[in-house]
Amino acid sequence: MASAKPKGHAKKTAAAAEDEGMDPTQYFENRLRALAAQKEAGSNPYPHKFEAQLSIPEYVKKYENLSSGEHLEDVEVRIAGRIMNKRSSSSKLFFYDLHGGGAKVQVMTDERTSELEGEEFTRFHSSVKRGDIVGIVGFPGKSKRGELSIFPKTFIVLSHCLHMMPRQKVTPGGGAENTKTTDVWIPGTGRNPESYILKDQETRYRQRYLDLMLNMEVREIFRTRSKIISYIRHFLDERDFLEVETPMMNMIAGGAAARPFVTHHNDLNLKLFMRIAPELYLKELVVGGLDRVYEIGKQFRNEGIDLTHNPEFTTCEFYMAFADYNDLMRLTEDMLSGMVKELTGGYIIKYHANGLDQDPIEIDFTPPFRRIDMIDELEKIAKLNIPKDLSSEETNKYLVDACAKFEIKCPPPQTTTRLLDKLVGHFLEETCVNPAFIINHPEIMSPLAKWHRSKPGLTERFELFINKHEVCNAYTELNDPVVQRQRFADQLKDRQSGDDEAMALDETFCTALEYGLPPTGGWGLGIDRFAMLLTDSQNIKEVLLFPAMKPLEDLNKESNKKTQDGPLAQERNTVQPNWDRGSMKNGRRHKI
Amino acid sequence: MEGALHPMRLKQLLHFAAFPKLNKTHFIFRNTRSFSTTRCASSPAVAGARNRRPSSSQTSTSDREAIRAIRIKKVEELRSKGLDAYAYTWQRTHAANQLQEIYRDLGNGEEAVCESDRVSIAGRIVARRAFGKLAFLTLRDESGTIQLYCEKEMLLSDQFEHLKTLVDIGDILGAEGSIKRTEKGELSVCVTSFSILTKSLLPLPDKYHGLTDIDKRYRQRYIDMIANPEVADVFRKRAKIISEIRKTVESAGFIEVETPVLQGAAGGAEARPFITYHNSLGQDLYLRIATELHLKRMLVGGFEKVYEIGRIFRNEGLSTRHNPEFTTIEMYEAYTDYESMMNMAEEIVTRSALAVNGKLIIDYQGVEISLERPWRRETMHNLVKEATGIDFAKFEDLTAAKEVALQMLNAGGDNQNKSSIEACPSVGHVLNEVFELVVEPKLLQPTFVLDYPLEVSPLAKPHRRHAGLTERFELFVCGREMANAFSELTDPLDQRERLEDQVRQHKKKNAALVSEDKSKKVDGDDDAYDVNLDEDFLTALEYGMPPASGMGIGIDRLVMLLTNSVSIRDVIAFPVLKTPRV
Repeated sequence: MASAKPKGHAKKTAAAAEDEGMDPTQYFENRLRALAAQKEAGSNPYPHKFEAQLSIPEYVKKYENLSSGEHLEDVEVRIAGRIMNKRSSSSKLFFYDLHGGGAKVQVMTDERTSELEGEEFTRFHSSVKRGDIVGIVGFPGKSKRGELSIFPKTFIVLSHCLHMMPRQKVTPGGGAENTKTTDVWIPGTGRNPESYILKDQETRYRQRYLDLMLNMEVREIFRTRSKIISYIRHFLDERDFLEVETPMMNMIAGGAAARPFVTHHNDLNLKLFMRIAPELYLKELVVGGLDRVYEIGKQFRNEGIDLTHNPEFTTCEFYMAFADYNDLMRLTEDMLSGMVKELTGGYIIKYHANGLDQDPIEIDFTPPFRRIDMIDELEKIAKLNIPKDLSSEETNKYLVDACAKFEIKCPPPQTTTRLLDKLVGHFLEETCVNPAFIINHPEIMSPLAKWHRSKPGLTERFELFINKHEVCNAYTELNDPVVQRQRFADQLKDRQSGDDEAMALDETFCTALEYGLPPTGGWGLGIDRFAMLLTDSQNIKEVLLFPAMKPLEDLNKESNKKTQDGPLAQERNTVQPNWDRGSMKNGRRHKI
Repeated sequence: MEGALHPMRLKQLLHFAAFPKLNKTHFIFRNTRSFSTTRCASSPAVAGARNRRPSSSQTSTSDREAIRAIRIKKVEELRSKGLDAYAYTWQRTHAANQLQEIYRDLGNGEEAVCESDRVSIAGRIVARRAFGKLAFLTLRDESGTIQLYCEKEMLLSDQFEHLKTLVDIGDILGAEGSIKRTEKGELSVCVTSFSILTKSLLPLPDKYHGLTDIDKRYRQRYIDMIANPEVADVFRKRAKIISEIRKTVESAGFIEVETPVLQGAAGGAEARPFITYHNSLGQDLYLRIATELHLKRMLVGGFEKVYEIGRIFRNEGLSTRHNPEFTTIEMYEAYTDYESMMNMAEEIVTRSALAVNGKLIIDYQGVEISLERPWRRETMHNLVKEATGIDFAKFEDLTAAKEVALQMLNAGGDNQNKSSIEACPSVGHVLNEVFELVVEPKLLQPTFVLDYPLEVSPLAKPHRRHAGLTERFELFVCGREMANAFSELTDPLDQRERLEDQVRQHKKKNAALVSEDKSKKVDGDDDAYDVNLDEDFLTALEYGMPPASGMGIGIDRLVMLLTNSVSIRDVIAFPVLKTPRV
């Protein structure tokens, strides 16, 4: 790397510094003028094609073993990429860093090896700017200091960067340009966005392409996300699951537990709701005889945006006939530990659970995962003796008192479900740093789960917690339509008002059950949340390419109010993500 | 399916169901239903006791309710005997088809009696015949069917009685036993014990309660699938096709990404978007009508080969080719042009065809289609010339072009066509219109139509040799557009101009519609919708996008083609229907 840097301070200047400090608008206009001039001269500034023979990672792989000073002048190679750094040591010698595919290579442009000569050479290379996309035909070689380079004969600008690219502020003692790129970040290790060249969160999320260009790690986050999804797909395909697609738009709102997006179909003059979960449709397909189905896709909830919530997010749900929740716990262990092993090389990952200024914690995915029997364990840890009939007034009162005793706040309505949820959150979830299953939830918390085969009042359900947050939710599916109807009716009592649409949905669902759903285990995973864990992300926006953002106009208004903090200040200050904000986390109708 | 006897009956039935207009058939069904009712409903007094659901089928509510009541009684009876009508799990050793395969050579009347021949299976009972001490049940699982041979002597205690009194067609059963082939040649599991895994409460559509309601097939897809196993095959093939597409592009180095469905501006195509509202942002959002503009941002960001398979939403009418939400793949590759996307299209379609059909000659609704490569590649100009004799390359003047086009079309005489030609704002539009009217329907064998007029291709790069044209192709098979691809426009100034022009054209059209609305009082709240510039996309282009090609393929249409399905509703598990799904 060091060799890439010109020796003296003086030499580093010319091309790179010429635009330094220029007003961005001025810069943009200059570039527009240059383009116009080129068009006027009859040349096409945007060539149709450049045949790149090798990607930059391929080039690096192929030639990294050259020895220092070795030049393969007889070899002609064609590569292309984006210029992320430019230096000149004289009007006859320009150095560029060419980036592509997550790798970079030095371009050592010497007038002697170029097709261009003298003035022409200098003029051309003065016009090439940081950020331009170029195609290069040249020969491979290594500089005397051992830096892999390409020596161009032909140098073509393929696309122009009309804006000034953000660059890292030069910090004292670290003349660092864009050179800290060689250490490839590996999933499961810590990450520090504070060290990024482009740090401003607003810009990173709104203009993700800049984030990807400037912060090399970011590309790996999304590759990791893609690998997670591939792994799940492969895992399920191997086990004879069939991937299906169910509607994202429904005529009936998907249950009462989350607020849906509403839209309108003009031609049919019909109100439509975006789905909040695919569960019902997938179970209908199992009724129809597809014994193992899954869907990986977007769900939509019309809720606020914060560190763990985006209006659209990705889940995987699968349904497996003739399996129960015990089978699914084993599958979950196999899938997640196998994935972590494959993506990170081991079972232990590092995660900044307590903010970037604290050391990361370790999360151990070695199977089997701990199993925590919810009520038993709660009674043991909190020294409670909860009355057996969980739906009774007595129990409700008991839990109100318990919460008061431990100073656990439960805002109204203080239903038994919500009280239990708070206690479980306080006493059990807090202990689940390594993956752990909390199992056997009460019936009142789980309207779609089957009653436990041996424990009255409970269901065969589990939630998987990692780093104290829920990642999976699964159960032996309730397939007795009579009991299902009863549960829905009971749940209605908990609601403030009767909801006709939710009831219509319940009815459709119960009808399907009446045709017979085989014994089935159903499972849901929040993919964004899991991707956050493996990429050491504390904000869901880190793992979404284009997260939902407040409209810019609103931001301007806000920033007038609180100039000091900046628009994302609120998020940044909240270290502990508020994952389970929803008051209906338990008792809900959806897996995730 | 080979060994199955009873499903044939169902198949025939659905054959009838496909022609709902044959009133006579309906009539017969109706007449016979009363027979079935008396047969099933041994205690009609219960009928109508629970009249809480609107009936969406022609089966009368009281029939269903009666059967339901009886079956709920059976559930109670099972429970009173300490049996569970809704089991928790069942360990299977084999699927039905596996058994058919393993014992293919077992002769008629032969039994397989080794310990290893003890099997356990599970599935839905779709047919049943009972005689004194013998009962035959047909069990269907996802793989196929097999007969259950139930002899009173071989079953434990009173299981045979349970079988006769408590098991109904439609129940899901687990059964264990040994294997034999009956004298009549039916491979069977000789049941030694069984258990009801799920008691069904509603009768399956059968000979008497046929699926005559076409809508119901889509509305309650599970019933369609139970009655007609071939339906599920389409969805298996659909999964296989998508999986094969993924394999194809991933082996070429493409990486899958997810871009937003909810967007501040709907771009990348010209279509009416769905609009929704985000409460906490206090902002209108559009459902994406294409993934194009966000995937191109990824190219700007340095990904060189990206793709997304995902749902697209367009607020348009329903037809056999249109569902408001549908699935596409869009893919973008840096440093290539539209030529390479033609090869990719051939690769994707042929590999998918081989994956599901094992051959490249396919039948689509009676037309033989050859997917053997290479496919014909011809320019739009030449195809129009070939079909009409008109060379639109000669026209500079719009009026002259329209005149010639109208003359040619008048031979056919269709007012609708006439007005669509007259509305064309440019020669390119006229050419495109004539192409769509005259050439498109004739492109049965796979054909790449090249070099579309610039005016109808706002995101494609100008052709490197022919002014006024773009480097764009569409792939047609069976007269339908399957894919659309271009060398991508990378010049941000040109792109801005073209999108602004598109917005202008659109506004003009809207204004025309509004004034028309006033004079004619056209129904519907508005045919007009807004098109917004995606400024963020234009800014991204200003940071420089590498030369690239991109392609979109309509996956539903590809599945239709490869599964010989006549309607998009046959390849979407839960299509949108004109009336609500309750």
